[in-house]
Amino acid sequence: MDFSSLYDSLALIKPEIIISVTLVLIVVLDLIYDKNKKLVPYLALLGLIVSGIYILSDIANEGFAFKMSATSNKFGLLALDSFGSYFKLLIILTSVLIVFFAKHSVEIENTGKRQGEFYTLLFGMILGMMFMVSASDLIMIYVSMELLSFSSYVLAGFIKLRDRNSEASLKYIIFGGVASGVMLFGISLIYGLTGTTNLYSINAALQSGNINLIVLGFSLLLIVAGIGYKISAVPFHFWTPDVYEGAPISITAFLSVASKAAGFAILIRFIKTAFVTNVDGSGNWLLVPVFDWKTLISVFAILTMTLGNFAALWQDNLKRMLAYSSIAHAGYLLLGVVVFSQIGIEAILIYFAIYMLMNLGSFYIVMLIADKTGSEDIHDYSGLGYVTPFLGVSFAVFLVSLTGLPPTAGFIGKLYLFIALIDAKMTTLAVIAVLNSVVSLYYYIRVLKHMFLTKPNGEVKEIKLSTANVVYVIVLLIPVLVLGIYFSPLVNFAESCLAFLSF
Amino acid sequence: MNLYDIIFYLFAAITIVSAFIVVNAKNIVYAAFSLLFTFFGVSGLYVLLGADFIAIVQVMVYIGGILVLLLFGVMLTHKITSVDIKAGSVQTIPAVIIIGIFAALLIGLMYSTHWAVNPAEIPVTTTKSLGKTLVTEYVLIFELLGILLLVAMIGAATIARRDGDK
Repeated sequence: MDFSSLYDSLALIKPEIIISVTLVLIVVLDLIYDKNKKLVPYLALLGLIVSGIYILSDIANEGFAFKMSATSNKFGLLALDSFGSYFKLLIILTSVLIVFFAKHSVEIENTGKRQGEFYTLLFGMILGMMFMVSASDLIMIYVSMELLSFSSYVLAGFIKLRDRNSEASLKYIIFGGVASGVMLFGISLIYGLTGTTNLYSINAALQSGNINLIVLGFSLLLIVAGIGYKISAVPFHFWTPDVYEGAPISITAFLSVASKAAGFAILIRFIKTAFVTNVDGSGNWLLVPVFDWKTLISVFAILTMTLGNFAALWQDNLKRMLAYSSIAHAGYLLLGVVVFSQIGIEAILIYFAIYMLMNLGSFYIVMLIADKTGSEDIHDYSGLGYVTPFLGVSFAVFLVSLTGLPPTAGFIGKLYLFIALIDAKMTTLAVIAVLNSVVSLYYYIRVLKHMFLTKPNGEVKEIKLSTANVVYVIVLLIPVLVLGIYFSPLVNFAESCLAFLSF
Repeated sequence: MNLYDIIFYLFAAITIVSAFIVVNAKNIVYAAFSLLFTFFGVSGLYVLLGADFIAIVQVMVYIGGILVLLLFGVMLTHKITSVDIKAGSVQTIPAVIIIGIFAALLIGLMYSTHWAVNPAEIPVTTTKSLGKTLVTEYVLIFELLGILLLVAMIGAATIARRDGDK
């Protein structure tokens, strides 16, 4: 064993090492201070920020980590590149926001001594996602995905007050178990066909030909099912509404943003690394003609958008409505994958940054209202807009942004996606997406109608906000408004993060 | 059909038949004991594949550990043998059709494919090379699995704890 290569690898995964160390430190701190759990969130924040700084400072560092010594090739378990770093930054940023989210959340506060475990499991999720976005080996993909899933199964049922909390956890674990079993089966078929689990070697094997295309197609379907489960694409979305409704709101928000981001990152990396032979001058990907990715992903995208938006129309529970809305957004994001070009990936990167802000903002306001009124039902929102205008107005901004109307950031996200589609001459898909956005307008605005126009039955109590609550909402609100007008910094940053490690 | 094939089919039959009983048994004790034969059959298949270490682990961990724990749990639970567990099946016909198609597809694929094969060399023992690979090439995965187990343990404790004791 060549130890210098091990040291090189360790130098490349500093952010992940810091997250793992923080995870262990949280467990230790949890044991030392048995009664007082106030310090745990701060330790979590410290770990996240240090890790984030390392990602930013090493963003230009590229390379393979944990190379295979025996097979005498230079590919490793992990491929570190700026595409992965962007997603890692996104995950860290979301996690920082979620730590504050959980700190403000009454349901997490009420778990008392169990808060230490909450943050430990949260870090398990973060670690799994960070390895997932840079994994370039099927075994690595599987193990990191399991780490993410295990932690999220427990967190989905972390609050044990009502039946539906346990229901969320149970449904999640059963669907998740099947999905990862199916994916593992696909991986084993691919290994049988190509004799390797490394994505780069799989690419070489596919280009050399001699692959049974039917079996390959079948195994890819199985793998896509596993990943599709993570990004809750239709038809692998069954778990989403129930889990999102039953899980603590902070975890719902985290699942809908970070876990989805990691799923998209691995889907894109899988296709880009294993199936793309070349990127031409204008940034289009040339795929190995072994599998019709374009049709498959297009069908998924259309189904996901349409079902997500139409099912959301009938939801009265706000968490459930946002769950279906997040399914619909996964559909829009799949449109960025389907164009198979650098411009499509750029659109996804931009969309995810904006999606994080507006989605976390909406969930945060739902959490604030649920903590005070004890209800997530839309009929209990009647008249709230006048009693607490600040919440009403900021919720309006987040929802308008989720719809994708100017002058909010959501418009910019959708705009770049549509530009990518038009650029690739996929006008039909773009039209379907626009029609879907129109449908989504109905259920987003319906909430606002209830908040501002419906007459409440009886007295509506004012929702008192602490300064921290107001600051949190403003921190999310300002970027959503500013990025709607002045978006070039985000676009430039996304553009600089399009490098995939190639051969 | 040589001896190797006969042994293979024997173990495969044990695995499948006992797994069928596990799913269909109305009595949870019968199900748990059938599971023992399922694990045994699987470990036999591992031996035939030349994976001696995994076969031993299968016997020690699954049969020796998990199954005994399961049986303890069943036996110690009050009156569990008389409790009707929900083993009823719903929508049997659609399930059979889908599984039948899936199985036919798989079998068809298996026969029609050129698998990437390496020249067969049954290793004397795999334990040494397995251990070496785990701490060199796959050391990251090994460490990650350690964290996975830690998270799973903490998660299990969290789920098991009653919410009342704060």
